[in-house]
Amino acid sequence: MHEMGLAQNILDIVVKTAEQNQVDKVVRINVRAGQLRGIVPEQLQFCFGFVARESSLVDGAELVIETLPIKGKCKSCSHEFSVEEYRFVCPECEHEDIDVLQGMELMVSNIEAV
Amino acid sequence: MPIKIQVLNNILEMNDSYAAENRRVFEANNSFAMNIMSSPGSGKTTLLERTLERLDPSRVAIIEGDMQTTKDAERLERFGCQIVQISTGNACHLDGKMIHDALSDLDLSDVRLLVIENVGNLVCPAEFRVGEDAKIVVLSVTEGEDKPLKYPLMFREAAVCIFNKIDLLPYLDFSLEEARENARQINPQLRFLSVSCKTGEGLDAWTDWLKSKMKG
Repeated sequence: MHEMGLAQNILDIVVKTAEQNQVDKVVRINVRAGQLRGIVPEQLQFCFGFVARESSLVDGAELVIETLPIKGKCKSCSHEFSVEEYRFVCPECEHEDIDVLQGMELMVSNIEAV
Repeated sequence: MPIKIQVLNNILEMNDSYAAENRRVFEANNSFAMNIMSSPGSGKTTLLERTLERLDPSRVAIIEGDMQTTKDAERLERFGCQIVQISTGNACHLDGKMIHDALSDLDLSDVRLLVIENVGNLVCPAEFRVGEDAKIVVLSVTEGEDKPLKYPLMFREAAVCIFNKIDLLPYLDFSLEEARENARQINPQLRFLSVSCKTGEGLDAWTDWLKSKMKG
């Protein structure tokens, strides 16, 4: 269950940010997860709801997970494209050396607080 | 009205900084670190047994990840190489900090190959970098050709994919070609090896590759 570890890391980041900004209560946390990360939003939300109980600043806050689709860039012809069904092949030149531009993210992008 | 506070923090930042520190240790000691991953029962430990028979044990160290038991570590102890067991408890993977802590129990100065045997699981271990030079994924032919498509991150991150138990191919409907094609689509740079730890087929090619990575 690696979602539990991720939930704890998210909580640590959120608590630190909330304390630095001296907010009273965090109401919403926006997380961006690249599709390659294979995060199951419901599982992460469940785990987060559980670990968040340890912080009165964060307990009850909504965790919103935006899944970012995979985007690649061909190392040969520089064509940028969305990678469908994990097919890492350039649709323009069929080159197979593809940089992942998007899809590996795992970050807390912002929090909403009162 | 709530206020929005920008954060933009990597959730795996702590893990990645441990991984970077581990990497410095591997590089300083000239040790090639491989993180070997698979689902439970694919034959990782047997593959390691066959591998250790073919290498100089004084040049090899092992970090063995297991959720509950020390059985895998016990199987590998007879080779006489340095070995550290990490019992992960309920955690389904090894992470950067666990490896960092285990490194304090190892002397890598003569070690050219550090084997990190991850917990049997095709999902979570792929998420956590430990500072390794290469990720190796083992897929036994009893598991089905579709596994690369079901666990894309694992196959995307791996440098080598080893098909194990190929002695069973005559009894199965498993198509090596299809499995390879599924994995290649995710990671066209992936290197493939096919082995049988029972008959020994393909093991020389595997250890030749390893030896080419062990410097000095």
